[in-house]
Amino acid sequence: MSAPTQEMLPPPEHGDVNTLARQLRAQFAGRITGELHIPAQPGRYRALPAEIEPRLRQALARKGITRLYSHQAEAWSCARRGEHLVMVTPTASGKTLCYNLPVLDAVLQQRSKALYLFPTKALSQDQVAEISDLNRLGELGVRAYTFDGDTPGDARKAVRTRGDIVVSNPDMLHQGILPHHTKWAQLFENLRFIVIDELHSYRGVFGSHMANLLRRLRRICRFYGVAPQFILCSATIANPGELASQLIGDKVTTIAESGAPQGEKRLLLWNPPVVNADLGIRASARSQTLAVARQALRRGLKCIIFAHSRLMVEVLTKYLKDKFDREPGKPARVTAYRGGYLPTERRATEQRLRQGAIDCVISTSALELGVDIGALDLCLLNGYPGTIAGTWQRLGRAGRRSRPTLGVLVASSQPLDQYIVRNPDFFLGASPEQARIAPDQLLILLDHIRCAAFELPFRLGERFGGEPLEEFLAYLAEEGVVHREGESWHWMADSYPANAVSLRSVAEGNFVVIDTTAGGQKIIAEVDYTGAPMTLYQGAIYMIQSTPYQVERLDWEGRKAFVTRTRADYYTDAIDYTRLKILEEFETAGKHAAAAALGEVHLVRRVAGYKKIRYYTHENVGFGKINLPDQEMHTSAVWWRVDAGFLAQSFPGRQQALDGFLGAAYAMHHVAALQTMAEPGDLGRAVGDGGSGWFATVGVNGRGVMHNSAGEPLAPDAQQRFNPTLFLYDDYPGGVGLSQPLFDGRRRLLAAAAGLIAGCDCRHGCPACIGPILASEEQRGHSAKAAALKILEMLNVD
Amino acid sequence: MSIKRRLSHLRQTPQCTPGAAAGLAARIGRLRAARRSDESHGSGDPSALRRALQGVEIADGVLLVEQRIASGTRHGREKLGQFARCAESFPEAAGLEPEDLLFLDTETTGLCGGSGTLAFMVGLARIEQGGLILRQYLLTRYAGEQALLNAVAAWVRAGDLLVTYNGKTFDLPLLAARSRIAGLADPLASLPHLDLLYPVRRAFAGKWQDCRLASVERQLLGFQRRDDLPGAAAPAAWFDWIRRGDGSCLTQVCRHNRWDLLSLAVLLPLLAEVYRNPCLHGADPLAVAKAHRSAGREDTALVLLLQQKPALDQAGLTALAGLLQRRGGRQAARSIWLALSARGDQTARERLAIHFEHDLQDYRSALSYAEAISDSDEKQRRCARLRRKLEKLNRQSDLDYR
Repeated sequence: MSAPTQEMLPPPEHGDVNTLARQLRAQFAGRITGELHIPAQPGRYRALPAEIEPRLRQALARKGITRLYSHQAEAWSCARRGEHLVMVTPTASGKTLCYNLPVLDAVLQQRSKALYLFPTKALSQDQVAEISDLNRLGELGVRAYTFDGDTPGDARKAVRTRGDIVVSNPDMLHQGILPHHTKWAQLFENLRFIVIDELHSYRGVFGSHMANLLRRLRRICRFYGVAPQFILCSATIANPGELASQLIGDKVTTIAESGAPQGEKRLLLWNPPVVNADLGIRASARSQTLAVARQALRRGLKCIIFAHSRLMVEVLTKYLKDKFDREPGKPARVTAYRGGYLPTERRATEQRLRQGAIDCVISTSALELGVDIGALDLCLLNGYPGTIAGTWQRLGRAGRRSRPTLGVLVASSQPLDQYIVRNPDFFLGASPEQARIAPDQLLILLDHIRCAAFELPFRLGERFGGEPLEEFLAYLAEEGVVHREGESWHWMADSYPANAVSLRSVAEGNFVVIDTTAGGQKIIAEVDYTGAPMTLYQGAIYMIQSTPYQVERLDWEGRKAFVTRTRADYYTDAIDYTRLKILEEFETAGKHAAAAALGEVHLVRRVAGYKKIRYYTHENVGFGKINLPDQEMHTSAVWWRVDAGFLAQSFPGRQQALDGFLGAAYAMHHVAALQTMAEPGDLGRAVGDGGSGWFATVGVNGRGVMHNSAGEPLAPDAQQRFNPTLFLYDDYPGGVGLSQPLFDGRRRLLAAAAGLIAGCDCRHGCPACIGPILASEEQRGHSAKAAALKILEMLNVD
Repeated sequence: MSIKRRLSHLRQTPQCTPGAAAGLAARIGRLRAARRSDESHGSGDPSALRRALQGVEIADGVLLVEQRIASGTRHGREKLGQFARCAESFPEAAGLEPEDLLFLDTETTGLCGGSGTLAFMVGLARIEQGGLILRQYLLTRYAGEQALLNAVAAWVRAGDLLVTYNGKTFDLPLLAARSRIAGLADPLASLPHLDLLYPVRRAFAGKWQDCRLASVERQLLGFQRRDDLPGAAAPAAWFDWIRRGDGSCLTQVCRHNRWDLLSLAVLLPLLAEVYRNPCLHGADPLAVAKAHRSAGREDTALVLLLQQKPALDQAGLTALAGLLQRRGGRQAARSIWLALSARGDQTARERLAIHFEHDLQDYRSALSYAEAISDSDEKQRRCARLRRKLEKLNRQSDLDYR
């Protein structure tokens, strides 16, 4: 919560980010592909509402808050009117006060209680610290506690019975609170507010689970005779109101205009220079990030660097420390911050950041949210964070106190990164990112109806979700877990259903990795079900902290992989095939020559083998076969098909057309993930004939290869029929609602994919546009890039 | 398409390869564990069940099975009775008449807890004329739960002491949750409670592999259950009745619950005896003494340890010496420490060093014991301090001499 009266700090005496920006522009004009400038904005203020509880008003005054930003005042009156509301505000705009104000007021005036839900534990801690601060200043006597996996057993009772504000997370609500709601009766009976922060993170599978979890929560609230009000906060996305209303199943008022003052902001989009034009290889993002960071540090600017992986955080930290922290005895200027460090260590780093004692912090997304780290001048993103919302959140970490700030987004060679740095407009105007959830996804809904039946018996006429509840209950009765008696359905099994449902993934049970080196049996890692077939097959090299282990045996049923330490000079990369068979078309568009459709497919995924790839040279040093069960599911998909005759007219041969399809699929997959804010695992792509007859993959020589259902290669020209179909599908049984918006927005999708390929600097295709191309144009005999563009043009059926 | 068909569609494996079983089929399998699809559905005949259990239907969906068990009835090696002397050993029972004891044990639909688990049988027992009157309330329909809880409440008297085995973490929270869901006040919330698991654990944790009621019966009561339905099978027995009207196993559940209650009733006086005379029953005298001490009965603890002195190990003797010292028996304490120290006991040496330094101002002896303690910073400090004191003393005596 930032204090409106304190925002005008004197400008920093040392270097200035605008000078740095000028210099970078002069020196590296070719690498800066775009620049956004957001001028400073004055704050808009409102007087503190007169009806605020006097002690709370005093606490605010002691914190230096004597007026509110306009959006805070709006949130206050909206909350007073009893409406559910969602706030869409930038970082450091005093968001927490928007909910703390009505909540604390209700706690003080009506002895009401509140439940706060944050997606992660770290954020919960900060919230409690924040409330404690106001509590102390105003001697409010409000009891705010966190409740999560770290809460000690003997403290739990106090949290349940005495907490005015309980700060927890969805997983705890799901497995710890709702199934034991009677123990929480005191909280529920007085529950007036439910605060949900980081709304935008509840999307896809996780979001669909969340919507059902909230249905359960509201059901329990009804039992205790309360109808709490929801206050939600989101980063900027295209549809915050829609998402919020889908999640809580009710009308929501959106407050999108921030009244907080904003310092001048500048964002440079930075593309590393091409070092091999043939293969489209660019200098690493790391080298560029380090170069900019060094310049900033020399100028005495304070900066934060975000990297995707913990490993990259360590690497960047080492390189910068080697340069700037060489004198022993002097306090470190450079520090790393990431998950996996001890909480005390992290708290100490946060404190030193707030004091301005650190010049450069390198972090994973751990610092992206909430945690107050004081004023920084420069924010460097080593790679695109994956969503625009995430990008703005990270950039918001610089310049919390209205100083001019500079952000530099350094693109990696990933297609998304390359697309983003070439489309600066993406960052301005209305966000194109639609957060999608499917609250009535059948399997997810079924999981939560099961959990809800355990929590309270269902009564005839009750509703849960958008599907007919009685049919679900009949289904569960047939499975023998609920029992109908008169007008009620009762739980009837000796089990605790919430333990079998994971909110974050398909709950098939994680695999444990067991190190058997030197005869021992030590669990060293856990891999989720979906990741296991691609990483834990027999013969795989599995890396932990860059130490290689070899998988000796995979016990699929027992969910165990036995590994030993190895000194292999190669790593392994699994080859998987996905075959799709169209089951039903729901909607179609287009003509005979080319058509797009939305429908249901049957998917079979086989992990067939793996490549051994030597470090540094990246040469292929061998193959291995993998013998794993196929994975099958029904899911929803969107697909495009081109008539064989039409293809024959447009391409010299089937091989070229196939290459074009594979390239187009690669580009579309990445753009689609961006437009639907899909988690990488939630969306898949495939090229095949749509009837499980054949499917295509990119072979080792960089060319498309057709396979039959057994995985054996086929010659494209030897086939009777050649009717390639390009699929994008929901990678979750039953689908999670991604295909429908892709079908509806297909023109935008095709245009963006074409833009990605056409705008790429490579000559024939590269990992940044149509996927890795190993062979040169001469060997391939044609340009795969041109072929992909041609296919995209043909797919535009509208 | 119906929900059922759509779900089956999603969950089935269209081309049944063995591997796919690990996917969706496994999830179905999770549910199937409880499924008996080949068996007929249908409700059972409550009157047949009533006859089989020799119970009375006291409300729609609730059977009451009542039995009297006469004083002196054998249960294993023990006989029912002798409730009079319990109060001395358990502060919870202080001032209570045997008639104020209310034994409780429930059978539930699950062992994992949570609001979806209910107690389908609540067994209660109280003492009347030295014998036991035993009431088991059995739910025959979900709808009877409210009536069942009300019936339990009606048999509870203000001033009762609840006696359970592991009721603190299991039976009582469960009944509290069910009362809450049924919209009733928890009938047991206000009663004092003696959970025998804790005194058993204190006395025998170091001696037995575990402290389950079955171990108590085997080790203490000499009671062997024959053809017992294990507690874990109780949920299925009740589900069989609800689902298919098959109440055949409920008779066994009743008996199982009755045995639990009987064991509780026999255990209470026996455990009181254990706390008076731990060695007779293979309990750990030190643990028992500690329990007395922490309950504020230092005299009892001291007497007990003195009685058991020949049988005490080093830790027991150390505790005895500590108690003696606190109660002014310094000499007796010292003789124990001296004996222990002679056997190389570190704590005793430390105690002696303190005793000689502070109680007797005999720094030379204190130093000799302090030096015999194994090396640590504290030892060094103590020795240094004692040497300083000795030196000062020597200087003074020199001065006196001059």
